[in-house]
Amino acid sequence: MSTVRVAGVGAALGSWRLDPREVRAAWGPASGTLEGGPADRTLAVAGADEDTLTLAARAADRALAATGIEPGDIDVLCWGTTRPPFAEGPSHAVLAAALGCSGRTGGLLCTGSAHAGMEAFLAGVDAVTAGSARWALVVASDAIVPGAGTALEARCGAGAAALVLGPRGPAGVGVRVTRSAPFLEQWRGDGEAATRDVYDPRLVRDVAVLPALADVAEHLRALEPTAWSLPDPDGRTAGALARRLRIDVPERAGTEHLVGDAGAAAPWLGALPALDAAGRVAVVGHGGGRTSGVLLSSEGPVPGAGPLGPLAAAGRPVRYPAVLRARHQLVPNAEPVPMGVPPGSAMHLRGAHEMLGLLGARCGDCGTIATPPSVHPTCPACGGTKLETVPLCRTGEVHTFVVNQTMPPPFEAPLPLLVVDLDDGARLMVQGTGDGGEVTVGARVELVLRRYALERGVPVYGYKATVVGA
Amino acid sequence: MGWSKVAVVGAGLIRFGELFEQSYEHMARGAFEAALGSVDHGFDPSVIDAAFVATQRGTLWGQEGIGGNTVPSAIGLAGIACTRVENACPSGSDAFRVGAMAVASGVHEAVLVIGVEKMRDKSTEEGLLSRAASGHPVYNRGETAPVLFAPFATRHMHEFGTTREMLAAVAVKNHRHGALDPYAHFRNEVTVEQVLASPVVCAPLHLLDCCPQTDGAAAVLLVPATAAADYTDRPVYVAGFGVATDHPSLAEKSTFVGLTATVEAARRAYAMAGLEPGDVDVAEVHDCFTITEILDIEDLGFVEKGKGGAATLEGVTALDGRIPINPSGGLLAKGHPIGATGVAQIAECFWQLREEAGERQVRIRNGVALQHNVGGRGSGVSVVNLLTRDPGTGGGR
Repeated sequence: MSTVRVAGVGAALGSWRLDPREVRAAWGPASGTLEGGPADRTLAVAGADEDTLTLAARAADRALAATGIEPGDIDVLCWGTTRPPFAEGPSHAVLAAALGCSGRTGGLLCTGSAHAGMEAFLAGVDAVTAGSARWALVVASDAIVPGAGTALEARCGAGAAALVLGPRGPAGVGVRVTRSAPFLEQWRGDGEAATRDVYDPRLVRDVAVLPALADVAEHLRALEPTAWSLPDPDGRTAGALARRLRIDVPERAGTEHLVGDAGAAAPWLGALPALDAAGRVAVVGHGGGRTSGVLLSSEGPVPGAGPLGPLAAAGRPVRYPAVLRARHQLVPNAEPVPMGVPPGSAMHLRGAHEMLGLLGARCGDCGTIATPPSVHPTCPACGGTKLETVPLCRTGEVHTFVVNQTMPPPFEAPLPLLVVDLDDGARLMVQGTGDGGEVTVGARVELVLRRYALERGVPVYGYKATVVGA
Repeated sequence: MGWSKVAVVGAGLIRFGELFEQSYEHMARGAFEAALGSVDHGFDPSVIDAAFVATQRGTLWGQEGIGGNTVPSAIGLAGIACTRVENACPSGSDAFRVGAMAVASGVHEAVLVIGVEKMRDKSTEEGLLSRAASGHPVYNRGETAPVLFAPFATRHMHEFGTTREMLAAVAVKNHRHGALDPYAHFRNEVTVEQVLASPVVCAPLHLLDCCPQTDGAAAVLLVPATAAADYTDRPVYVAGFGVATDHPSLAEKSTFVGLTATVEAARRAYAMAGLEPGDVDVAEVHDCFTITEILDIEDLGFVEKGKGGAATLEGVTALDGRIPINPSGGLLAKGHPIGATGVAQIAECFWQLREEAGERQVRIRNGVALQHNVGGRGSGVSVVNLLTRDPGTGGGR
């Protein structure tokens, strides 16, 4: 048995900010939305080109960067998300490829409830403890589609947290405890598009959830934690739990007021601020009738840890209809134009790694980098044939750009398209995130993974340029 | 070069527009009749021994399989040799070049070059705009036609201080010309204010910076120069041509203030004809967007690089300017039925050199006209044709 340490962490939030009062106003007082948590929250929700996978990739990239561990050194990738991008399909493999993990990376995908984030963490701990992995990357993410007009919709956020586990790091993983009870809270039936909410939130909270949380938290309380990450989806649970346990949890100790209920990511997003200093952090996560708790003991700041305020502040305010469109709950009455190259076709097979890994072909003769490699048997600049596939630099500068306002469905305007000169000399034409309002010639940009299309149910991922500091 | 001189002896087109009531075949027949009718001494269609058809995108009206056999049977020439030429927006001008080579080589005696395009049968969403979903699933996604040119406007404005008013001046001028052209889709004038206030299509380009979607057809008749006198006393001669390609992806462009394919096609055409930009009296150039004409007049050597916007604002390219550009109204006002566009530009050059363009006639000094198209993914292909009034000018014997 080896000791498991937390070497670094990272977080990502849905890049849109939604005021839940808009949801309540839209559905009226008779709807469940009034039960959707405190009025002073703002929700981080996924943009139209974001989903649980793009948020997971962003958080994982940040955790790896903070830690200084190369993606190729990750032995297992443990991903927990309530709703992966494919109900059945290559979700884990796509994330692993996007992160730059090697084709030998193991791991697992935990799904089906918000408890998946705890399950993925415990699996990562087990892999390192058992010696089957030296470095494990744990990612917990969620961007679910809540039922329209439900309390869940008025409190539902989107985000991701990632932790690099391994033989060294400032924080150790201590006691863990899990409890299980077969009660129904939020759920989604097979073939259903949106997650349903329980019909009587107070019944479930008081009779089922709180006793389970208290049982787990009492075990951790004995170890005298200095900070808690407690579930608080509705703005009432954490307070009620603290009173029941007679523990002192400062108001807004969690991150729900900045994010909303981020599901599988919530316990780890809640732990990130506390891991920025020495102390003992009790993390409690819950979902699908299961509750787990774990104690992390930190001797100093964990790389990548810190408050989520700056991430939340970078979000862009949107109106409720935009969110409904992004979740495909508000759909135009028009035939969407099908992708010319369908997702099952050979081009996607040939292009999978170069799209997810953002690869280019570097000429051995003149050094020009052409993108993507699969359509460049020769160097476009000099005709050279000695081409080496290389990862592209993820930062650069806008050379020129447009903002397209005129496209058929499923496209949505405004759509920025940018010609970017990357810092390694490659020139790339990619879409921009956001509405293009902040793009200028010469602006510094960073390339981030986004969902370019949801084509015949298949998410198609690629990189988009986002203006740094915008 | 060892090629025989080629003469244009007839040219005709149908009025461009939204021709919902006419089929592809009817448009082709209309243009063919107009070309036949334009030949001064008459033209017996049975002498035509080859045709070259320019149609760029049959899928725009639901036809995948436009081939060489689609047009001849529709226009009464069933059985003749016929080849479809597809080379993006320069399809019409390239069909003309190929037709000229067929005559110059001595292989064919009388060649019909005909361009036909249906742009409006399908809805815009299912037609031209559906291009947004074609090509590479990531690197081309969202790439509608304006996306290929608007980045050049952004960069031209950034590097040279070109303004939106200068872009608008192109639309204003070409609509003024188009109002004088009975074949133009739009025969209304527009103001700078109207262009600036029109809806944004693809920033920085607005609606009136963009050419319309237009149905149309155009045809010209080519014979060896030695046979031209049988048909007309005023033929126009092919002086030279050039074609050039450039990378198909915007990511591979070395510059966003000029179109490399145009520069190289023009260089080859001028060299073949032994002419220079200063010899040209009038030019029909590719103004699919206002910025495109500004790039064209710089890349073709008519004005200094970076000065195209200011020159347009100053009237250098107007009918009475130093180098009149697009007297027909251009793609912006006359319309852009892709395969027909280049052939119709040749027709305009034919009329201008014969000084029969009526109110829009420009002053002909050297008897030289230039016709130009550029297009395709990444504006990666350009064709330039040079025409002269004097058989002693230009290439060929």
